[in-house]
Amino acid sequence: MLKAAFTALARVRFAILSAILLALAAPAQAQKPGGTLIMMVQPEPPTLASYLSTSGPIGQVAAKIYDGLLEYDLDLKPQPSLAESWQVAPDGLSVTFKLRQGVKFHDGKPFTSADVKHSVLEVLKKVHPRGPGTFRAVTEIETPDAQTAVFKLSEPAPYMLRALSGYESPMLPKHIFESVDPRQNPKADTPIGTGPFRFVEWQKGQYIRLDKNRDYWKQGRPYLDRIVARFVPDASTRTAAMEKGEVHFAAFDAIPFVDVKRLQTLPHIATTTQGYEFINSVTMMEINTKKAPLDKKEVRQAIAYAIDRKFIIDNIWYGFGRPSTGPLNADFAKAGFYTADVRRYDVPDRVAIANKLLDDAGVKRGADGTRFKMTLDLIPYGEQWQRMGEYVKQALAQVGIDVSLRYEDVAGFLRRVYTNYDFDMTANFLYGLADPVIGVHRQYTTDQIRQGTVFVNSTRYSNPKVDDLLKRATTENDPAKRAALYFDFQKTVVEDSPIVWVFDMQFVNIYNKKFHDLVVSPLGVYSSFDRAWME
Amino acid sequence: MPGVSGTGCSTQDFDVRRLRFIARRLLQAVPTILLIVVINFLLLHLAPGDAADVLAGEAGSATPEYMAALRARFGLDQPLYVQLFVYLKNILSLDLGYSFRHNQPVLTLILDRLGPTLLLMATTLVLSVSIGVLLGLLAATGLRTWRDNIISVLALVSYATPLFWLGLMLIIIFSIQLDWLPTSGMETIGAFYEGWDRVADIARHLVLPAVTLSLFYLAVYTRLMRAAMLEQAGMDYVTTARAKGLTERRITFGHVLRNALLPVITVAGIQTGGLIGGSVVVETIFGWPGLGLLAFQSLFARDLNLLFGIFFLSACLVVVVNVIVDLIYALLDPRIEIA
Amino acid sequence: MGGFWHRFARNRSAVLGLAILAIVLLMAAAAPLLYPGSPFALAGRPLSGPFGEFLFGTDTLGRNVAAGIAHGARTSLLIGLISTAVAVLLGVLIGGVAGYYGGRVDDLLMRLTEIFQTIPSFVFAIVLVAVMSPSVHSTVIAIAVVSWPGVARLARGEFLSMRRREFVQSCVSLGMGDLRIMFRQILPNCLSPIIVTASLLVATAILIESGLAFLGLGDPNVMSWGFQVGAGRTVLRSAWWICTFPGIAILLTVLAINLVGEGLNDALNPRLRSA
Repeated sequence: MLKAAFTALARVRFAILSAILLALAAPAQAQKPGGTLIMMVQPEPPTLASYLSTSGPIGQVAAKIYDGLLEYDLDLKPQPSLAESWQVAPDGLSVTFKLRQGVKFHDGKPFTSADVKHSVLEVLKKVHPRGPGTFRAVTEIETPDAQTAVFKLSEPAPYMLRALSGYESPMLPKHIFESVDPRQNPKADTPIGTGPFRFVEWQKGQYIRLDKNRDYWKQGRPYLDRIVARFVPDASTRTAAMEKGEVHFAAFDAIPFVDVKRLQTLPHIATTTQGYEFINSVTMMEINTKKAPLDKKEVRQAIAYAIDRKFIIDNIWYGFGRPSTGPLNADFAKAGFYTADVRRYDVPDRVAIANKLLDDAGVKRGADGTRFKMTLDLIPYGEQWQRMGEYVKQALAQVGIDVSLRYEDVAGFLRRVYTNYDFDMTANFLYGLADPVIGVHRQYTTDQIRQGTVFVNSTRYSNPKVDDLLKRATTENDPAKRAALYFDFQKTVVEDSPIVWVFDMQFVNIYNKKFHDLVVSPLGVYSSFDRAWME
Repeated sequence: MPGVSGTGCSTQDFDVRRLRFIARRLLQAVPTILLIVVINFLLLHLAPGDAADVLAGEAGSATPEYMAALRARFGLDQPLYVQLFVYLKNILSLDLGYSFRHNQPVLTLILDRLGPTLLLMATTLVLSVSIGVLLGLLAATGLRTWRDNIISVLALVSYATPLFWLGLMLIIIFSIQLDWLPTSGMETIGAFYEGWDRVADIARHLVLPAVTLSLFYLAVYTRLMRAAMLEQAGMDYVTTARAKGLTERRITFGHVLRNALLPVITVAGIQTGGLIGGSVVVETIFGWPGLGLLAFQSLFARDLNLLFGIFFLSACLVVVVNVIVDLIYALLDPRIEIA
Repeated sequence: MGGFWHRFARNRSAVLGLAILAIVLLMAAAAPLLYPGSPFALAGRPLSGPFGEFLFGTDTLGRNVAAGIAHGARTSLLIGLISTAVAVLLGVLIGGVAGYYGGRVDDLLMRLTEIFQTIPSFVFAIVLVAVMSPSVHSTVIAIAVVSWPGVARLARGEFLSMRRREFVQSCVSLGMGDLRIMFRQILPNCLSPIIVTASLLVATAILIESGLAFLGLGDPNVMSWGFQVGAGRTVLRSAWWICTFPGIAILLTVLAINLVGEGLNDALNPRLRSA
């Protein structure tokens, strides 16, 4: 069944890919220059420093301004961008990038290997939230000439080549970053990159305006004259603006899922679930494994059994999602890492199993039918999380667990969960990103129990076997061997159940049919939109 | 008789008294405002988490060292009393400080939003007071007629309707179904109009939020005005005036109206004092770039300098408005002294 | 007393208001009997329309909207009444004393009032709820804290103006005690605007609660009308009943409280008696 679905999915992808290839083969026929794209960005970003923060809205705007060394096609294969070609040494200990000639920053200064070196070593590796992970193996970058950058590695880093997009690793102008602390660069909000659009103005509370970069290194690109990122705080109003054609593009959950269903029926609106292949987001409930009775594996498994994933997907996310089986989003199947061959919690008699597990673990029901009380902390990112909490409360009541809900604001939630560890269970979501090393490992290894650091191992789960598997998977260059390590990892951690994986999130890109070729990359809204055009 | 010169002298006296009154009230306000700053400061530092937590949360990840560096930069690593002292010192030199989140001085951020806020709130104030007083007057003068009934029922219903519901409905009707007005924002994004076109464009965007907000306040003023008129109509001086043979018209407009305006002015003063705070709900629904929304967002981002800045300016406005309200009181009701 | 009832009953809309209010109160009292169990229970198929198996339909999770309204009545009324009671008590006491004594006392008290009034009230309510973490208690406290200054200023204005009236002056010259003058002589004479304001406040409190819930700052463990409207808002256009019926409940209750308030005003106002 699942396999059939995947085959179907692959077929759809193939069809779309051929369509794109076809479109590429017949250029200048359809694409017309001109037009303004108004995209919904939610919420308004605090800054545009995408090298400093991976906050969604920042990347959605900044990825139009900054290029990366590579781009990725919908098959997740790296494609040339600022790097025309690249070569991994046979021992895996160096990567040589040949840079494109004649590329200029928006201020007219040339882009060279010195910019690459400074961006990676001085900025990304130091201050980017994921940079220290992505470039952990990079010890030095040699720049024999202006067009060559050689990354020297301490160990093989197969994941790195999946993290060189303009969103994940933007290439910055050395002359602007050289003499300042990148955390306090006064030019952060008037960014200068090599990308297809250049920054023009930011009206706080209203919009950011980007205009076409007329000297862009891709001949004839971009097609659009202008991109305006618009901020509308209220969800229903965002839907109305999209419906009315005042806004042309929205990604992630800018449009509530219930409205997506309705908008899909409108003649001028189209949707696609493509463009999230490098996001791999999983909705989950982190459990505090140090707190009784949650320190018992059986209790955590019982909670995993008690939840009806399908109900949550169908009624709270309106069908946009796929039940999770474990820590890896099933989209990792494309890279070969995913397996469904683990303990399955979505079985028909799951409530009975849950009750039995709890009874056997000695967590008996009291006179009022309650086994124990706990609090569920909901991440304050919108009302779906409240609905999910309300459902979980009802579902766990069935197995005798009395849940009360807590809905604090972002600062309170993060402080409680990642600094104070003062929680029982959360409702949360994390991005698995382009490679498990970048997005998944952080929740499961012992060295990721880092008090005060957000979105890492908050459950304080620690298993030497898992630590070892993931350590080996990080440097394993053979795809088949690497996959085997991940299979073993999934089996082990699903059995231990430190986290209840609820479902793989399926975000949607919604766009006005006047526009074409908006989603042409696994990064979707985080890509540069240089190929987008308007009828 | 010293009548003539005496009157002249007392008018002069009155002016001096009034100036002294204003000066004294403004002077008195300084400690009040400082106290407000202190209370807010302490209150908000009770809130869990800080700006570094939020920034780290949005960034996706951050090392404890980075967070410590952030806190040092924001001055959050200092003991609370030092932070408070520094803040008070800045406020006294009229320096509202810096928003680290937005990388801009607080004053710049607030001034950016001040225009749209005042536009929305002042329009609302003018609309609701003028129409509200008029409707209240109409209702009171036609007590228990169909006119009174219709006005009272409408005022009640519009008062009782939740703002967000009303705003949502207006968007559905006037911008989606009828396609007369834009759904949200203050200007047509991407059009970049100039001159009168821009004025007209902003005016079109202003209609729905201003109407939504006005309907609520309008109901308040209508009801207040009606109640106050009825209250005054029963006063002894009205009976006296009637006995003296004054026409109902003279009584209503010459005496009753003046006194009935007192509670209206009280509430209008409160509303004016709230101008800078904007309206969180209406600004949220209509995407209006006002200060209410900014304050709301800065609270959840723990961008406390910005939030204090908004509270501080709002406090200053309230103080000024209160003085003005007292002056108007004295003007309308000579029995109230100012001194 | 009979005279009061007679006068009150003459106002037909006030009687209507009282009737609606009585129904709401009855519903609140009988909620556990009408709909036993938690109003959060998943009662049926999600998004079932109204007037079928469920009177007002079910919401996105399949919870019975009617059960939510019945249980929510308790929360909304409780929050409205308690927060108003606190606000009026504080406001009249502080405003009355300030207006009656004037001078330094007035200065001091009014500055206290100003402190609470200078902060934008809804934002201040949000701040209070955020600091205290969303719950019924924090909502009540927040609403009371932002509501009393308005009452205080109103009471002060009234007391200040009454203080100079002949009848108060004669009471003073008769040697009547301050407290007695304030509560026996002045208060009854300026009661009508205070009653009108109080009725508005109950209504406002219910509206503020729904506004807070709209912004996601309600108590996540307690059913209230504001919670229902907030939760149904995003599906307003495909499942109108979820937020319409609680919305109507808010509207009717606020309306009823106001009608009763006006009826009280007319019936209590000593100068309208002869009219």
